[in-house]
Amino acid sequence: MAKNEVAVVGVGLSKHVSKRRDVNIAELVWEAVSACYEDAGLKPKDVDAFATGNMPAFEGVNLPEEWGAGHWGAYNKPLLRITTGGTTGGSVAHGGYYLVGSGLFDTVMCIAFEKQSDGNSTMGLNTVALADAAAQLQLGVDPGFIASFGGGAVGVAVYQASSYMKSSGCTTHHLDKVSALCRNNAALNPYSHLKQPGLTPEEVAKTTLLQYPIRFGHVCPATDGACAMLFTTGEKARKLTDKPAYVLSCASASDEAALVGISGSGTTNVDPCEQESCKIAAARAYEIAGIKDPRNEIDLAEPYSPFAHQLLMFYERLLLCDEGEAPSILDSGSMNLDGELPVCPSGGVISTNAIGASAMERVAECALQIMGKCGERQVKKDVHKAVAHGWGGAVNLNVVAVLSDTPRR
Amino acid sequence: MEYKNETIAIEGSWNLASWEWKFESIALIRKTFEAMKNERKLMANKCPGCGRVYFLPKPYCLCLSIPDEWVEIKDTATVTTYTFTGAWAYEGIADDEVSGTPQIFAGVVFDGSDTKTVTMLEGIEPEKVHVGMRVKLKWPEEVAGGLTDLAHCVPLEE
Ligand SMILES: [Zn+2]
Repeated sequence: MAKNEVAVVGVGLSKHVSKRRDVNIAELVWEAVSACYEDAGLKPKDVDAFATGNMPAFEGVNLPEEWGAGHWGAYNKPLLRITTGGTTGGSVAHGGYYLVGSGLFDTVMCIAFEKQSDGNSTMGLNTVALADAAAQLQLGVDPGFIASFGGGAVGVAVYQASSYMKSSGCTTHHLDKVSALCRNNAALNPYSHLKQPGLTPEEVAKTTLLQYPIRFGHVCPATDGACAMLFTTGEKARKLTDKPAYVLSCASASDEAALVGISGSGTTNVDPCEQESCKIAAARAYEIAGIKDPRNEIDLAEPYSPFAHQLLMFYERLLLCDEGEAPSILDSGSMNLDGELPVCPSGGVISTNAIGASAMERVAECALQIMGKCGERQVKKDVHKAVAHGWGGAVNLNVVAVLSDTPRR
Repeated sequence: MEYKNETIAIEGSWNLASWEWKFESIALIRKTFEAMKNERKLMANKCPGCGRVYFLPKPYCLCLSIPDEWVEIKDTATVTTYTFTGAWAYEGIADDEVSGTPQIFAGVVFDGSDTKTVTMLEGIEPEKVHVGMRVKLKWPEEVAGGLTDLAHCVPLEE
């Protein structure tokens, strides 16, 4: 358990669109960072340390914090770079929690971002997949043959979706419903990318089939955007604001890369929809947070779901219901903004995916909902406890954070 | 000097296959490929600790033991997951290669092993494929001793 209470006192988000040609990376990030300073009523001089992260190589430059630091108020301050694939933003938020919770620093600025339009995300992903591709090349496999087996994020997602659908009874209609739910929520979020007010499941079902069972309407966009969060001690937070969002716990777990087929380490042996590490991380996070019954104690969830089935799959893996129960919970309306346990009120990753920032934006949405700062997309019920999730690494890492309106007693 | 306000891609190639990476898995997998080529057998490695059987072979087990026992497995398998290509796949691919039918990819577990490998399913309509269906490896006439030998499976009539 943390030595110090940790609280979020500020959140800042940039505008999120597919191509920001009017700003460079440092300027884009500054939009989020300056909004965060303003939200918290703090200045760079009040910040003791920084944690930053984005996907390496996705924008064609590496270590951008080294030249962005001065622009963001981090000049000559302690700075920690954290980059863990799709989970990057979640891990950066965990970094903020550890830096403050350990008692080493009082106030920490966490920054996560991606400016995909500056580079080439497929090339970036190739750098991640390089080791696995290299193993196959070394075995004399033709590169075209490797590509035909559906690599990249969609390749992982389709196999995961098929086996999840078999084990849960989730149908393609449920996938369409998830997209409609998220894109309608996104329409109420000024910081989301794909806003589709009034989108119906029937319209999603008519979009192009990319690869069974995933249609165009079931997939996230590629986004330019940034997110910043200020973490500080409970004591300082109570002086700054009447309603901070306390971070009760962070936990992560990593298991085997759930790819189907061979990777650099030989054959993989876990089903892509099992996500055992998510269950382990969630159980650990709830335990540290003092939550005994997550199904009744959690008021809101932001599972990381760039693909429609993942919202349901991770809802289950976050121990919010039995396995196979999520599709019927979706049908019940419980996941809606006015439901019993709203899911992805932000619109989720399926609506906005500035990759490095995405997992932090899950934590940010939980904090904003607890602080009551969500405007039109503010959920109906009072949010006392919320769970934020990220999925990434080499598709094997799950990160979970639990936030609350009250510190743990 | 001309300044450009856009991202440009430069044509080029980088032969990664020429680089010898130190994967421990490579030697094991090559052994399996040789058995396929020389004996038309599927050889997997078994863990003495927990009994898991790896196909393709793996240098270490989930339980952290070394799977050092070689066992022969069957060429029949069960589908655990599948996908078939949608519209995007036809762009840039010659018509004669796809012949208008979607390609079906499946994760399968060969009988006698515990792990999934990828293959393509033939002789079945995409709509009829389901998780749990039984398939059989379609051995090529001439086994090359590589991953491509495992690339085709057909429905198993039992
Ligand atoms: Zn074992």
